[in-house]
Amino acid sequence: MKLTPGQFIKGVSGALVSFYAQLAELFRDVALGGWRRIEFWLLSSKKARYGLAITRIILGISGLGLLLSNFTTRLYSFGPGAAWNSGPAATQSELANFWLFRSFSEAATDSRAFTFLYLVLMLLAVLLILGWRSRLVLPLYFVMWVSFVESRAMLGDQGDNMYRITLFFLIFADSANRLSLDARSRDAAKAGNEGPWWRRLWSGEQIFDPQIGNLLHNLVLVILTVQVCLVYFIGGLYKASGESWAGGFAIYNPLMTDRFGPWPELSNLITLWAPFVALLTWGSVLLQLAFPFMLLTRPTRIVALFGILSFHLGIGLLLGLPWFSLTMIAIDAIFIRDRTWQFLGQRISTTFRESFDEAKNPAH
Amino acid sequence: MPSTPSPRPKKYVRVIMVIAMLLTGWQIFASVLWIAPSSALRQLVPGNLLSSYMLPMFGQSWSVFAPEPINGNFTLQVRALLKRGVGQEVTSWVDATKVELSMIKRNPFPPRAGIQSTELAMKFKSSWDALDSESRESVALDYVQDQTPRQTLSEKLAASNQAAGLYLATEDLLRSYSTQVAKAIWGESVAQVQFEVSRQNIVPFADRNKQKATPQPVQKAVVGWRDLMVIPGQSEPEFSEVFREAYLGLEK
Repeated sequence: MKLTPGQFIKGVSGALVSFYAQLAELFRDVALGGWRRIEFWLLSSKKARYGLAITRIILGISGLGLLLSNFTTRLYSFGPGAAWNSGPAATQSELANFWLFRSFSEAATDSRAFTFLYLVLMLLAVLLILGWRSRLVLPLYFVMWVSFVESRAMLGDQGDNMYRITLFFLIFADSANRLSLDARSRDAAKAGNEGPWWRRLWSGEQIFDPQIGNLLHNLVLVILTVQVCLVYFIGGLYKASGESWAGGFAIYNPLMTDRFGPWPELSNLITLWAPFVALLTWGSVLLQLAFPFMLLTRPTRIVALFGILSFHLGIGLLLGLPWFSLTMIAIDAIFIRDRTWQFLGQRISTTFRESFDEAKNPAH
Repeated sequence: MPSTPSPRPKKYVRVIMVIAMLLTGWQIFASVLWIAPSSALRQLVPGNLLSSYMLPMFGQSWSVFAPEPINGNFTLQVRALLKRGVGQEVTSWVDATKVELSMIKRNPFPPRAGIQSTELAMKFKSSWDALDSESRESVALDYVQDQTPRQTLSEKLAASNQAAGLYLATEDLLRSYSTQVAKAIWGESVAQVQFEVSRQNIVPFADRNKQKATPQPVQKAVVGWRDLMVIPGQSEPEFSEVFREAYLGLEK
């Protein structure tokens, strides 16, 4: 059979058209499948419920710890003793000028009012840890916390920024879904989705369609994941561009200053042997850079999380930045699966029960 | 993937989902641009939208201890001129940095009060470093009432230096702090204050285990005598109670 050029072109173009049509269909199916997967992931259930509850609890502990650490010197550095810390050269945060965050700045010259607010903030931190009426406690705590910490911005560090950003997004998630008084009373009441909206708000019930609650909760997880990965990765990049980090001795420098070396004996001990200093210095940079990628598979994730935990514990103790470190640890808790948290919880409660039983029956 | 398909979401849930996803996407995109070093990608965001979105709520900077971590100690010392009947007396220097840092030394739960003078010294040193040598000489002179008013210093600096405004404001900040330190230690007889800020680098890494490593040079910012300065609302007892306790603790 002979084909005329016209027929040939028609045949080829027909084949091409059908090929591309099938390809387009394939793309459409893949895209649609992907979209459905994403939709299902976002709407069907809340992810990392234990993880985010642990984040809430540790953030509460970190806040309470900072407030307790500063309690005896609160009037000296934040209250009426620190009025000198003002004027055009003082480090001032724009946030402290915003009406919502003015309470502590306004009370700064009145010892009694300041102490009252301070105690209220401590109480809110305790309620946050316990997960009592979290929907209301969390936003209130956020507002007062920012107002407190930003009132003397000169004394702050990057941990304050991480804390504020995380706390802000936590407002939109359901961080009291587990390990909280809210969850306990919700389980006990089994009331379901009833009553006027304000009562449901108060008791921590769903106010909207449950899928919307799931959606916001899961998107907060996405945002926090990206936030913390960026912080590690970009922080690692900045370090990698420094000579002392590349040279493997950067951690020695701050440890030898009075400001970041509160334990001189420990600082000396840890920096005594140069290869160890190099290992810690390079290890920090490498861990920070690799962190986002190590999250992708389970074995590397475990290594990354243990690594980053020791990194933060080291910073917290040796550099005298405990609350900064605890804040970072709080956020990293979302990378541990609910199954693992449940397993850990069961292990702890079994151990407790066994040792209680043993104490009761010493004959065994 | 799940074996049982979830019920199809309602239309309004889908709408909210798409909006929330777009907002999340923007938050992530803006964070990437903000946290990463400045790049041409920032041109994708029109005008100052990026900074007005990120600041102040999402303000952050993650070049912590990087590219080069801090490698020096900052010191803020204070002394005072005391009125004694008809005469007067110059006190010895008190290291306010050392006094405050004693609150965080070997303390696993350090209060922020411990770093105030260190932060002040760092702030002052950088504003002083920005002055030219002629201005630095002017700053080292005394400016006290009845002799040379401080106005003279402002005029001298303003004529020669762009950094003068920030310097003068920073000097006031340290003057207010030093006044509190002086009053806490020497009480009401304090008539004038002088402070001195210095920086000394730590022993370099390579020399750390040497028995007798030569100490690094002390870089001083010399400031003359100044009048006292008290900010309205300042409680002197609340300052002196804490500062004195730390000071006396060090003396022991």
